Amino acid sequence: MALAAGIGYTLLALGPAFALFVSVIAAKPLLVLFVLTSALIWLVSLIILSAFWRAFLPIGSSWLLVLLLVTCVSFQELIRPVFWFSYKKLEGLLNALAQRMSKPELKYYETMQIALAGGLGHGIAHAVFFCLSLLTPSFGKATFYVDSCKQMPLFLVAAMLSLSFLIIHTFSMIVAFNGYDDGKRSLVVFAPAMHFAAAFLSLVNLFQGGCMVGVPLVLVCAVGVICYCGKIVWAKVGDQDTAISMSNRANILS
Amino acid sequence: MDHSGFVILACVLSWLTQSAIASFQSVPELEASMYKTVDGSACVRLLTLSGEIGCANPDRDKVLAPILRLRSASDTIDQISSVLLPFSELNAFLMRTLNEAAINAKVAGVLVESSSAVGASFPSSLSDDEKFPEAQFAPYQNTSHVWNPPGSGIINKRFNFPVYLLSDESTRIVQEAALGNQRRNFNYPMNVAEFDLVMQTTKVGTSTSEACLSASSCLPLGGYSVWSSLPPISSSSSKEIVLVITSMDSASIFRDTTLGADSPLSGLVALLASLDALANISSPENWNRQLVVAVFTGEAWGYLGSRQFLNQLSSGGSSVQGLDQSRIYQILEVGSVAQAMDNVFYAHFQNEGSAATVEILEALQVAATSLNSASAEVLVNNASDTNPGIPPSSLMPFVHANKSMSGVILTEFNSVYMNKYYHSSMDISGQINTSTIAVAASLVARTLYILASGQSNITSSVADLLTVNESLIEQLVSCLLTCNPGMSCDLVSGFITPSQTCPNHYVGVFTGDPSESPITENIDDTARFIWNFLANRTALTINGTDTGAIMDCSTGCSDSDQVCVGSTVEHKGVCVHSTTRYVPAYSTRLHYTASGWQTLPPSSTDVLGNVDPVYTESYWRVLGVRIFMKESSAFDTWILIMGMAITVVSFMTILSMKSAFKKRLKHA
Repeated sequence: MALAAGIGYTLLALGPAFALFVSVIAAKPLLVLFVLTSALIWLVSLIILSAFWRAFLPIGSSWLLVLLLVTCVSFQELIRPVFWFSYKKLEGLLNALAQRMSKPELKYYETMQIALAGGLGHGIAHAVFFCLSLLTPSFGKATFYVDSCKQMPLFLVAAMLSLSFLIIHTFSMIVAFNGYDDGKRSLVVFAPAMHFAAAFLSLVNLFQGGCMVGVPLVLVCAVGVICYCGKIVWAKVGDQDTAISMSNRANILS
Repeated sequence: MDHSGFVILACVLSWLTQSAIASFQSVPELEASMYKTVDGSACVRLLTLSGEIGCANPDRDKVLAPILRLRSASDTIDQISSVLLPFSELNAFLMRTLNEAAINAKVAGVLVESSSAVGASFPSSLSDDEKFPEAQFAPYQNTSHVWNPPGSGIINKRFNFPVYLLSDESTRIVQEAALGNQRRNFNYPMNVAEFDLVMQTTKVGTSTSEACLSASSCLPLGGYSVWSSLPPISSSSSKEIVLVITSMDSASIFRDTTLGADSPLSGLVALLASLDALANISSPENWNRQLVVAVFTGEAWGYLGSRQFLNQLSSGGSSVQGLDQSRIYQILEVGSVAQAMDNVFYAHFQNEGSAATVEILEALQVAATSLNSASAEVLVNNASDTNPGIPPSSLMPFVHANKSMSGVILTEFNSVYMNKYYHSSMDISGQINTSTIAVAASLVARTLYILASGQSNITSSVADLLTVNESLIEQLVSCLLTCNPGMSCDLVSGFITPSQTCPNHYVGVFTGDPSESPITENIDDTARFIWNFLANRTALTINGTDTGAIMDCSTGCSDSDQVCVGSTVEHKGVCVHSTTRYVPAYSTRLHYTASGWQTLPPSSTDVLGNVDPVYTESYWRVLGVRIFMKESSAFDTWILIMGMAITVVSFMTILSMKSAFKKRLKHA
């Protein structure tokens, strides 16, 4: 029953996003808004890029393909600090509002939740743009294998890549926010570096049989991003919140 | 990263992206490429009074199975498959499924390679019909004579799976798919064929003609026969009638690839060409006898046309007004003539003692002698007296109606059919000889002239007029028996707007009410062409000029003696004085009422109706096959499990991380 496969692929690509949304985001309306806004912004960025590159389709030469990847990743990474900067403005407004209402300002973990929401929006935008409509044929009876990948159906490759990028975008946004907040260069460079790395690793899929290497490699990137992000946040959570008053637990977000 | 790293990366990229990028413009385009629709001709479910015949999906669902290519009918089949067979092996394989239940269970559907595909082997003979076609209609007892040695009889057999004959292009596609399966050693993912040949009678559960007609899940086979008279019949005429008959339909198990080039269309072409020649003779109204031409349809499925014609005559139907059964003096039938060896034809006769029969045989001899020339001798031999009687022919119902009917059938064969592909999809134009048809046509023209005019020989001036030109024969063959130009040829499109370019001669189903005048949509292209051709050729001329007038006569001509010829989408028709009519062709066991078709009980007056199987064809919505690659259902289930597992694991991880961070926050 190919309906099972279609649902399976969709869960593969978006299951973690769904889990994140339900467990972390859904409880707080402002986070939901952030996810939606972020998704919209990143979708618009992808649409602008695709509108530009549409004129050059079909991509015949490999140089053009590399150039496409470079321009797209660079464009998105240029938007990231702008995204963070806009968030900072909003944070200022929220904190001012909190002060007027005699409520506490945004704490570190709340800021990280907002970063998570922003990253999740980015990941969902990527999934929607690159994967979701591609999965529509997988609900039918037929499957499809690309010539260069006889081992895995196209839909499986697309779902797994989408899953990897979702994880990469979600958690590298947290790292990036930490980097921008603290001005740490290694953290600031991390997000673009992982984005570029994953994008170029995905080119390995173009080799004959390369998908058996390329897809796991991108998954490894994703795992790397989670681990690094976890390490950063774990350390900061240990440091930061000692300074903040433990009595004031009222959450302006709830 | 240092520069050498970049260079290496660049070289690698330029090498790998040579051909790897698939170019689909959109997801719908991708989806469309995943499914390949194949085209061809289907074997459909027909029904008789005693049960079903033909092929169909076994129930309401589509049938799906991996494609397995067999080279011969006796190859083994390990699991349930869509079998791909060469055309030459089809009949043997189908008989095998009937005899071996184990094989039948493993066949989900059959795809037949085109007989004209690259590398196809030509069977030396092949016939879907019986060894004695329509034996129950013979006017004699000895039905063990084998007229059709290659006859397999599969046309009357029932198969519980769909059978589909592929076109040339589709044969290649399916062969590639089968090869792909073989290379993967029949492991998933496999290329499968999905058959959508679901029949209405299967869905409704009606399995005999009587049941399905009452449930309106089928329609009876039938169409419209055409008769014409030269000269047009005047009401006061009491002349004896010379009736010349032939048929226009053939049969095979694949409804859309039934050309019947030699049997019977070569006879039809010969007859039309001979009428064309006879029309050159002036003043046919001075002839001793009235010449009437009748072209029947449905003859391959129980002599529907000829039987209904006789029925209409005896009940005084309006479609046969002006004809009187008692005035029919003698009948000449033009059978298959294109494969006559060395211009030797055979005359099969009925009631040899009667003067009328003898007259026909003598006229044939005179005509043949007159055609003899230095280059070619034309012979008409009497058929062997070891034959049990007349061969399967439209003459049979006439004999049943009147035991003393005098009739002769002109054919290419003596005791055994010359046509090695009788009633099969291989009876195509490649195997007929147009010059032989031209000789037969001249033979028929001169014979009819002698019979109708009362002249006893062919004078040289008449001989010139009654020599059929081969170019007309070639035109008729290319129009009626090929797809290029097919029915869009000039000869046909001058008379009608055809509904399709590729001609086909399966009788089809009878749509509409037989008691009403037929509407264009209910008459097939061939019948409409014949009607127009005959009306045009038999039209009355005064001093060689047409008495017609060009006008928009699509709704009819004002004068009741006139008919509208050549009214098409592109140009207006001409009203001409001609007696040319359509006669409905359907089983005499059926009666049309307001609530649909009813099956009449057997009656003593309709002997042939009692042995008529009463063929009907089931309604169907689509007749399609598509090919695509499919995973095993286990794989699909695993994907679902993997997706659910990832989601569940994510949930659990997130929840544990949340509690870990909360604890850390508390401690910090």
